[in-house]
Amino acid sequence: MATPERTQELLKGLHDAVVEFEEEKTVELSKAAVEEGVDAYDAIMKGLAWGMETVGGLYARHEYFVPELLLCADSLYAGLEVLRPQLKKSDAAKTEKKIILGVVEGDIHDIGKNLVKVMFDAAGWEVLDLGNDVQIDRFAQEQQRTGASVVGLSALMTTSMLAMPRIIKMVKSQNPKVAVMVGGAPITREIATSYGADGYADNAGEAVAEADRILKTVRDS
Amino acid sequence: MTSQDSVIHQDRVEALLKGEKVDQVPLFHFIIGFCARNVGYSVADMYRDPEKSFMAQLWTFEQYGVDGGPDYGYASYGGWEFGGEIKFPSSEWQQAPSHVGFPVNSEEDLARLKTPDVRTAGSLPLAMEFSRLQDKFNKPISVVLGGNFSIAGNICPVGTLCRWMLKRPEAAHRLLRIATDHLVEVVQYWADSFGAERVIPNLWEPVAANNIISPRQFEQFALPYIKEANERMLAMGIKHILYHICGEQNMNLPHWAKIPMGDPGLVTFGHEVDLNTAINYFGDSCLILGNVEPSIIQNGTHQQVYDLCRQCIDKAKHAPRGFMLMSGCEIPPMSPPYNVYMMKKAIDDFGHYS
Repeated sequence: MATPERTQELLKGLHDAVVEFEEEKTVELSKAAVEEGVDAYDAIMKGLAWGMETVGGLYARHEYFVPELLLCADSLYAGLEVLRPQLKKSDAAKTEKKIILGVVEGDIHDIGKNLVKVMFDAAGWEVLDLGNDVQIDRFAQEQQRTGASVVGLSALMTTSMLAMPRIIKMVKSQNPKVAVMVGGAPITREIATSYGADGYADNAGEAVAEADRILKTVRDS
Repeated sequence: MTSQDSVIHQDRVEALLKGEKVDQVPLFHFIIGFCARNVGYSVADMYRDPEKSFMAQLWTFEQYGVDGGPDYGYASYGGWEFGGEIKFPSSEWQQAPSHVGFPVNSEEDLARLKTPDVRTAGSLPLAMEFSRLQDKFNKPISVVLGGNFSIAGNICPVGTLCRWMLKRPEAAHRLLRIATDHLVEVVQYWADSFGAERVIPNLWEPVAANNIISPRQFEQFALPYIKEANERMLAMGIKHILYHICGEQNMNLPHWAKIPMGDPGLVTFGHEVDLNTAINYFGDSCLILGNVEPSIIQNGTHQQVYDLCRQCIDKAKHAPRGFMLMSGCEIPPMSPPYNVYMMKKAIDDFGHYS
């Protein structure tokens, strides 16, 4: 069993390895955490997720760009692969927030959506990633099947963004208590509102906080 | 509009390229999908049938008083040409051809990659057929390609290129070398076919935007290749290069300003770049084109579009080498026609030179 000091050292090490996109080191430290009896949930949330939180800040300050984010995400997922199987059932149940993500029909540009997925994964959400060029009726179908509380839509193209209001209408008419958020280069908060979305994120770093906010708003409404 | 009017429209662009005065700000469009809707064709027709594409643009340009174009090309250029697969637009939500599979997904694929035969690769036979129509109708000869970095980002997934830049820079450089040589070979083919002085390469660079890479990464992986390619094009006798500096590229502008574009060059900007900033960097050497926000043209009111056009004209009308009003990227196919007309109306109302 790791001492409190050793536990802190491992958590800080996991944080740093994610921030510095050292994938092998992340795996080594994740294995060490498991072997030394560090709680897997803590290793994820107080190590890996903390790292991605720092990465999000670096991205917002234009110190990191997409290449760095992708490599940080590779490190995160490598660590999660080691740690997730070690989660206790009670910890796994803590993941009660579920989001469906996808790039709307007609659009194949998925880098933004993938970065958003990383942020939700890091924050402990259960993510159902539908990929890109997702047919418009599939979002409502998958929401009904999975009971996800939030649906996130992404588009890079001005033409494909026009699919968003129709998708939002489908999801909302099925269940008004589902929160829908949108994002992508041509989208603004004003456009999001006009489309009937509950929320909008300008970048991946803001997406999780926005999802938490709109989830509460929609549930309280 | 009469055929005489058509000559006047083309003359405005030619006059600016010669450094002569014009009577009003010219209107320059990249508007392929909208033209399909305008004349009753499918968007896919515009990419797989050069004659339909050319005529649809010609007719629409006449209707909307456009001075530049027509052009053939799309942002995903490079994947098909190097052996990947694309699909043509088939639904109302699709704007242009898009990737189905990339020719390079690994370093092993990259090791086997060779520059393709420019006479037969991917969309190039269609583009050449289109340029023969430009020649037949005495229009400017353009060849629309991605910039070097965007071609590389279409040969392999952008995410792969991003990872290679940091972890396997030699692989990224090899890919960029191949993309650069290919780009120059294509332009040489056009120069050999029509005469270098008549060809204006029309190069689009969305992947190098700061939404994706840092200015430092631009300096290391985009700048040297773009600069080299432009120097080689100008050395073969090309007079003017049009570069669409697409998306959020404010942090890259000091690097772009080091790249020769011809005399004058033509630089077009996304709405993210203020036209005063663009003039500061490029005004002495290039025509400035831009930059009405496409999503406003599609989703905004006609008054919003009109106001944005006026702002662009007011800022850039007196750019030292000239200015052409254009959208910040391709005009979306589903844009309301009256919004598109606002660009001409704004020029009629505010774009005249006394």
